[in-house]
Amino acid sequence: MDLHRRVQSQTSSTSTATPSKHAFETRVADVKSPKSDINALILDYLMMEGYPKAAEKFQKEANLKPRQEDPTINARQQIQHAIHVGDIQKAISDLNELDPGILDSDPHLHFSLLRLQLIELIRNARGYDPSAAINFAQEKLAPRAASNEQFLRELEKTMALLIFPADKLQPDLAALLHSDLRRNTAAQVNEVVLQRHTERREAAIRQLVRMRAWAEASCRSKKGNLPDRIELGLNGDDNGNDPMVTT
Amino acid sequence: MTNPNPFPRRMSSFASANNGSRPLRSAGFSHLLNPPPDSGSHGSGASSHAGAPFSSLDAGAAHLGNAPHGLDEGRRSHRTSGANLPSFSRAFDMFTSKEPLLAGPNMTYSGVGSSASVSKTGFLSPSYLRGSGYLEKLAEQHKAKLMADRETTMSKGSSGTVFAGNTGNTESRSVTLHTKLPSGIHRGVALNLIERPPASAELEDVVSPLPTRWNSDDKDHTVEVFGDGYEVKYTGSKGSEHEAGAIRADNPMPMQCGVYYFEVMLLSKKREENIIAIGFETRKAQLSRFPGWEGESWAYHGNDGKIFASGSNSGRLYGPTYGAGDTVGCLMNFRTNQVLFTKNGEELEIAFKDPSFKDPTKSFYPAVGLKRPGDHIWINFGQVPFQYDIDGYMKKQQKMVTDKIRSTDTANLAPPLNDTELIQQLVLQFLQHDGYVGTARAFAEEIHMEKQALNMDADVPVEGVNIKDDEDANNRQQIRRAILEGDIDQALIYTNQFYPKVLEENGQVYFRLRCRKFIEMIRREAEMNSSLQEAGVKAKSTSQPRHHTGNDTQRTYSQNPGGEDELMTEGEEEMMDTEEDGSELRTGNPEDETMAMRAAGVSELCQDALEYGQELRDEFKNDPSHEVSKHLNEIFALMAYPNPLEVKEVAHLLDGKGRVAVAEELNSAILTSLGKSSRAALENLYAQTTVLLEDLRKDGGDGAFVTIQNVIDDIPKAQVN
Repeated sequence: MDLHRRVQSQTSSTSTATPSKHAFETRVADVKSPKSDINALILDYLMMEGYPKAAEKFQKEANLKPRQEDPTINARQQIQHAIHVGDIQKAISDLNELDPGILDSDPHLHFSLLRLQLIELIRNARGYDPSAAINFAQEKLAPRAASNEQFLRELEKTMALLIFPADKLQPDLAALLHSDLRRNTAAQVNEVVLQRHTERREAAIRQLVRMRAWAEASCRSKKGNLPDRIELGLNGDDNGNDPMVTT
Repeated sequence: MTNPNPFPRRMSSFASANNGSRPLRSAGFSHLLNPPPDSGSHGSGASSHAGAPFSSLDAGAAHLGNAPHGLDEGRRSHRTSGANLPSFSRAFDMFTSKEPLLAGPNMTYSGVGSSASVSKTGFLSPSYLRGSGYLEKLAEQHKAKLMADRETTMSKGSSGTVFAGNTGNTESRSVTLHTKLPSGIHRGVALNLIERPPASAELEDVVSPLPTRWNSDDKDHTVEVFGDGYEVKYTGSKGSEHEAGAIRADNPMPMQCGVYYFEVMLLSKKREENIIAIGFETRKAQLSRFPGWEGESWAYHGNDGKIFASGSNSGRLYGPTYGAGDTVGCLMNFRTNQVLFTKNGEELEIAFKDPSFKDPTKSFYPAVGLKRPGDHIWINFGQVPFQYDIDGYMKKQQKMVTDKIRSTDTANLAPPLNDTELIQQLVLQFLQHDGYVGTARAFAEEIHMEKQALNMDADVPVEGVNIKDDEDANNRQQIRRAILEGDIDQALIYTNQFYPKVLEENGQVYFRLRCRKFIEMIRREAEMNSSLQEAGVKAKSTSQPRHHTGNDTQRTYSQNPGGEDELMTEGEEEMMDTEEDGSELRTGNPEDETMAMRAAGVSELCQDALEYGQELRDEFKNDPSHEVSKHLNEIFALMAYPNPLEVKEVAHLLDGKGRVAVAEELNSAILTSLGKSSRAALENLYAQTTVLLEDLRKDGGDGAFVTIQNVIDDIPKAQVN
């Protein structure tokens, strides 16, 4: 058995496609992506973003153990979930239970959550009596907005939702009703909790992905020797088979 | 700005907090530990500590003691009468604390960054470059060279030569390493040759080495090099108006560092006007002229505080004058094409800005120019901590780049996915690809739940996250599980059952699996041994026949060339000892009998291991590959240790991480044989980023300031069971 030859064949092209390969692709194929790093990135991601079941399974299947147990992971998932479904009241109370000082320490976050709560009240009130929403706005948001320009503007914008019909909204108003606002707010809350407990705001994998995007853009701006398009390989195998996951 | 008492300041630079790492060899601390003033010592004794800057200085400095002089090549420690302590003496431990070195006014010191060091093998790693892609690469090259040297000649141990880490003079920035990297060394420290595929020493990927010493072949005749290559003295007669003695360093400032910095301390005795120039130049500049006055030469002159750029005779006013006792630093920032100087730890303004600094055809060498007899300087290339907070400067540059990255939009990577979706897909695909079936399923469910929660329009159903029921993934997972549990036999059974051709077609993986089986046997035995040892019983061998088998095998082993012989005798002795102890086991005590059974079990394991080992050797004895026989020797050597888990040189072979590595290799091989990509998109991303960063690093731009390792290091460490 000639191992050299075998090793050669193993480290060459990972693609079974075109015969001529760009020099860049060849270099990429030669570089190792250590599993220990990848596994660490994934576990870190699952824990930071709040996917406790997946995190647990992964620890077992990949034989990993995080150095510090994270007691907040379940709570964080719960809170995010509450925000996702629009139950802001629950989210706020869960949040206070998890970390009593957090909303006081971050007035902007607090206001964002309250505003989201107002939006949900408005959403539910559409076509019906808006007084619950208005009372809420007067009680909870107006006092904070009184002393803060930015809060005031956001409050005014939100209140405009009461006036205009849903299908005639300007884009910036429509955005308030979009699920992305919930998703983003939930992510923000998650980050703040993490920052207070672990001193990191986000999973490392996010920075890696951004680094990838930035590096390519920088290289291209310097007219580096790159192929026209560098695929990540998400969309199925090189053979063009169906992707493994469909949503 | 003259410092009323220059010495404490200087002491501060050398005595910065050296956190428990090896004491600095070349720090010039020796004089500080010398006997106090009443000994009146001044220039006696042969101190040969490189980098020791203090020659005979003025009154008030008597306690600073001996003059470093003479070129010293080796790193011998000196035990001259009380005066000098070897560099690694415990006395240097005082530098690991932050207590004042000498009691008295103005004599406390503060650390300016972590300690710099020169390794045993001569590898220079300045503090501000630690963790950088450049230094990582340079270290690899250094290791590769050492390994190559070791393999071609008998091992020289750790003495090495002073210049081991660098290849001396270079004409250009490109290839300075002419040895082919031995197979197995790759982008990553070559801890285990077998694990890395062979690399080709592509010229474009070689980085140029750091400046480490003054170059006595690249200087004017009026100056001489001293003090282990760090000091320069003007030894000519007083020259004419325009003449000077210049000298350059052995290597140019490498662009790939991103930022390069050095400091020069003026040691001249005279307090009168010293005409000294500090800067950098290409080799085109004449050595009989001051740096700055010639073309392709830039410098900061001490007598008038002016800076001179590339051949201008008049220069322009820049900063303070400087003279004896001052430390002047020169900082080249390749990212911004700017140069600035520092004086006694303080940053001065930007001095030069010139895009030609990034010209890849030009090499800029650190340089100084002296003029008067008695002019004497010492340079710090990073072998000891700097006065100026260069680490802080570097961190600021890094932050600028990481902030840029943080605000990058990832929308172009895999449109139309946004960041969050993209990452979810990357993670999910990886989990599937590598056969982490349970995790993939759990994650998919959680993502689905999330989507449902966010879905506000009851009329639009959320599609399920459909994981193709991947039988293949299940199979691969079973195989992986078996390996991770150490049951190689089971893994082999599964593999042959599900993917019969794979092992045939992948000889290396097959070899690794077989070796791993052997390692697991040793490991089991070692573990049992240690538990028995804890119970106070040595259990290596209990029976005569086994002893003989042992000897036979050992005799076969001793036919191997190289270092195995020592190990064999150790092992043999061990076995002989335990032979005698074996009789202790039969005491009739039930506890002891369980022990005896266990001991017998261990010896059985040992026997099995031996037999298997022989099998293994026979099977692969005809393999021409050097790596194969090397690896076999490595693992067979394990047998010589009664408890290899405790012997740190070999314990790593038994590490659980080895299981992970083998599992991954097999998984990859299977995937390839199925025609699937052997790498998931996330791994591609990682690899692509590595290559892109390498390219970005080449001209000292942003890429020089970030590495993927920085990102990974951010994660609190997970442990493999």
